Amino acid sequence: MEHALYAQSGGLRRRRRVNRAVELTSTVAAVLAVAVLLLVVGSVLLKGLGALSIHFLTTPTALFGEEGGGISNAIIGTAIVVALAAAMAIPVGLLVAIYTTEFAPPRIGNPVRFVLDVLNGVPTIVTGIFVYGLLVAGRQQSGYAAAVALAIIMLPIVARTAQEVLALVPATLKEAAHALGIAHWRTTMRVTLPTAAGGLLTGALVAVARVAGETAPLILLCSIFAPGNLTDPREGLATIPIFIFQASESPSPTAHTEAWAAALVLIAFVLVLNLVARAFYARSRQRMEG
Amino acid sequence: MTKRLLSVGLALALAILVAACGSSSGESSGGSGSPLIGAGSTLVAPLMSKWQSDYASKTEATVTYGAIGSGGGIDQITSRTVDFGASDAPLSEEQFEEANAKGEVEQIPWALSGTVPAYNVSGAPENLKLSGEVLAGIYLGEITSWDDPAIAKLNPGAGLPNTKITPVYRSDGSGDTYAFTNYLSTISPEFKSKVGTSTQVKFPTGVGAEKNDGVSAAITQTDGAIGYVGLAYALQNELSMPLVENSAGEFPEPGVKSVEAAADAVSKIGPNNEISLAELPSSAAGAYPISTYTYVIAPLESDKAEALKKFIAYAIGAGQEFGPDLDFAPLPKQVVAAGKKAIGKIGS
Amino acid sequence: MEAGALSTPVLRARRNRKDRIGDPLLRGLSGLAAAVAVAAILGISYEVTKIASPAISRFGLGFLTVNDWNPVTERFGAAPFLYGTVVTAGIALLLAAPLSIAISVYLTELAPQRLRRPVATLVDMLAAIPTVILGLWGILVLGPFMRDTIEPALKSAFGFLPIFSGDPSAFGYLTAALILTIMITPIITSVTREVFETVPGELKEGFYALGATRWEMVRRVVLPYSRAGIVGGAMLGLGRAIGEAIAVAQVIGGAYGIHASLFHTGGTLAAQIAAQFQGAPNQLQRSSLAYLGLILLVFAVIVNVIARVIVRRGGLEEAEFTPTEAEAL
Repeated sequence: MEHALYAQSGGLRRRRRVNRAVELTSTVAAVLAVAVLLLVVGSVLLKGLGALSIHFLTTPTALFGEEGGGISNAIIGTAIVVALAAAMAIPVGLLVAIYTTEFAPPRIGNPVRFVLDVLNGVPTIVTGIFVYGLLVAGRQQSGYAAAVALAIIMLPIVARTAQEVLALVPATLKEAAHALGIAHWRTTMRVTLPTAAGGLLTGALVAVARVAGETAPLILLCSIFAPGNLTDPREGLATIPIFIFQASESPSPTAHTEAWAAALVLIAFVLVLNLVARAFYARSRQRMEG
Repeated sequence: MTKRLLSVGLALALAILVAACGSSSGESSGGSGSPLIGAGSTLVAPLMSKWQSDYASKTEATVTYGAIGSGGGIDQITSRTVDFGASDAPLSEEQFEEANAKGEVEQIPWALSGTVPAYNVSGAPENLKLSGEVLAGIYLGEITSWDDPAIAKLNPGAGLPNTKITPVYRSDGSGDTYAFTNYLSTISPEFKSKVGTSTQVKFPTGVGAEKNDGVSAAITQTDGAIGYVGLAYALQNELSMPLVENSAGEFPEPGVKSVEAAADAVSKIGPNNEISLAELPSSAAGAYPISTYTYVIAPLESDKAEALKKFIAYAIGAGQEFGPDLDFAPLPKQVVAAGKKAIGKIGS
Repeated sequence: MEAGALSTPVLRARRNRKDRIGDPLLRGLSGLAAAVAVAAILGISYEVTKIASPAISRFGLGFLTVNDWNPVTERFGAAPFLYGTVVTAGIALLLAAPLSIAISVYLTELAPQRLRRPVATLVDMLAAIPTVILGLWGILVLGPFMRDTIEPALKSAFGFLPIFSGDPSAFGYLTAALILTIMITPIITSVTREVFETVPGELKEGFYALGATRWEMVRRVVLPYSRAGIVGGAMLGLGRAIGEAIAVAQVIGGAYGIHASLFHTGGTLAAQIAAQFQGAPNQLQRSSLAYLGLILLVFAVIVNVIARVIVRRGGLEEAEFTPTEAEAL
């Protein structure tokens, strides 16, 4: 048994050296990851803070060649598209999760889970092609089309987290309700869901954070818009990711600075949502295990 | 706490949704009825911006425009995803067939500008002189360095650096590509057979970038780069432009005057209102060799026919006054006349 | 009815009308929702195939091997983009996998207790950055750095190798691969870390008792035990890298053809679709782009499914789940 001879094996100094080298590498790797994060977020902060102002946030994008524009229409557009997507995806995702955890027998539940996994792996540009064929071809680009694509992207995320959290609700609670003769649907609505609320919120927030920055489908579905249209989702709407994408390909330094500033707004939103989601997740785990 | 957050979030989402739906039923910001939607050429985009804001202030009608490239404009009007398309490249027979499948369309020239090469070479002189053959050689990958004898011959005495040439081209469907390749194919039979003329071609060498913005960016970021962009972009971004030899052997400065001279030298208007400025007679003095018209493509029958007629009439009429500031030459009289006749056909 | 678990005071043995409707209603609605999910995936496959069918009937399976994308001669092929996808995603995986394992080792074995949570959170935050912002950073920060520092260094040290020949360029396969590495490292790390944490403490302690160093313990216990999880996580990362359209489109340069040098500009399946779909000048080209999308869909789904199967088989507890995985998984 080679293992038993560790303590006695020669070359202890060499083994210690190798060990130290590996430990160093691992630490460097972790430092590298954190450094890259700080680099990226730092670049956004440093370069974007300068252009960020109340004026920038409250003025719509400037026309070609004019100065002094902002991203107000993009912010509103993103808010509307994401809200519409969430309105579609969160209820449906929740219902799917309820179905697989409460109602479906495993021979249906497992394929549905599988389908959700597959859906999650679909590249977002392909989802864009799908919704293009469905809603844009022959008609026109619109905020609604963008919202549908984002909802499809959100669905597996919401459903997945909801499933996990619903499965964690202690069976004793549900059994007690059943013993009292309470109908299944009431149990779900009044017992299971409220207990799982924190985790469900987590899934919703994570999904929203994910699609707020999603650009690929927007290019095909919602990148042609009227400067004056702020809120009508039947037409194209300005969105922050598209703004950043187009500004990033521009040669003008002003456009670049505006891109950084818009990126700052987007990153702040996404990171805050993520941190809040994590906090809720931790708390809901505590509640259910405690 | 969770519940409170949930209800706040729900209320917020509801408010946004109400705002969205509320505006759907009403009018969007001053427009009477839904906006006119167009897409296409990035060449005309600067002028289009001016038209959009001026037209809205005069008539309260909104025009939406997406500058996605001429290729995209043709495609979107063909599938009727937009109300009008804008393209610097006139439609080919095939494209007309496809577009007419959903009802006849016509194209009307509504602005006049040029596609200009732009270069970024440290150590090279300003106003470098180039010819069509040299440009064809560069984009064919035959001329690879800035101190090539062919370039030196046109610029005697200039100290040309040894830098490698990086040709930049449009990777998306572009009317500028059409104008540029049309010109090069006219000058160089080799270019014509190896690359051809289209809104999107396969260049044997070089770097692709999206839209006029992308090409401008690529040029400014690469030493030794040369690319082609719409005239307004080159002037707006202060790119260095070479002087291109025209059919009269001159090297006119790119701008409104030389584009106008080119347009004046050509009186032939094609059956579909297409006008090619690539083959200029040698008598055309001071004419810029890569000038190009840009067209609007509109269906004859549609529920936006009235709005289209008004807007296009505005564009070739009052809208032209914004042209010179943005380096668009005014449309010659006979082109305006042909345009008016074509507008008359819409909605009849 | 009041909310809350056990606050119903009365035994409700008799079911009233609401209950008679409620159960089937909830069952029906939730079943409908599940059907929607299934319909979505079927719809995607159907619609993409439909848009691609002109190209499929014109080019057939040969499309996969044709190295041409010429709108004038109307000859289109997927080969250059398959190449670009494989190269960029492959390099990203090659770099990200060891990196992620190293980070996970740090987080589970080396880091002081108080640092574990914060550092793990920071690494996860990297996954939350929208890809368009990574692309922006790539264009304006990483790209110039590659062109001015890294690529010339690689060229002078290893220029005899075809992959490091050619002129340094801000945009190209290598820059895209690095952006993808940044993108997928947190995903792989997250899964790997989870798996590492499930290794039974007794096994590890047993090894220490035998006098093994930490590295030896990791090599002999943690890594073999976690093999399934690591491979699964790596496949998840690969799936993500294959499907990324935006950040890659921003930094890969949009060129055609197959090029040996990593400095050269190129294209990938996803990036090409993002760049050209909207502006495709004719039906055949748009259909060819949809064909690319179909290939991409098949590729990505296969990789993802394999990943999940491996992860589930490897026995990752369903309930061990952080929000990052919620997006990745």
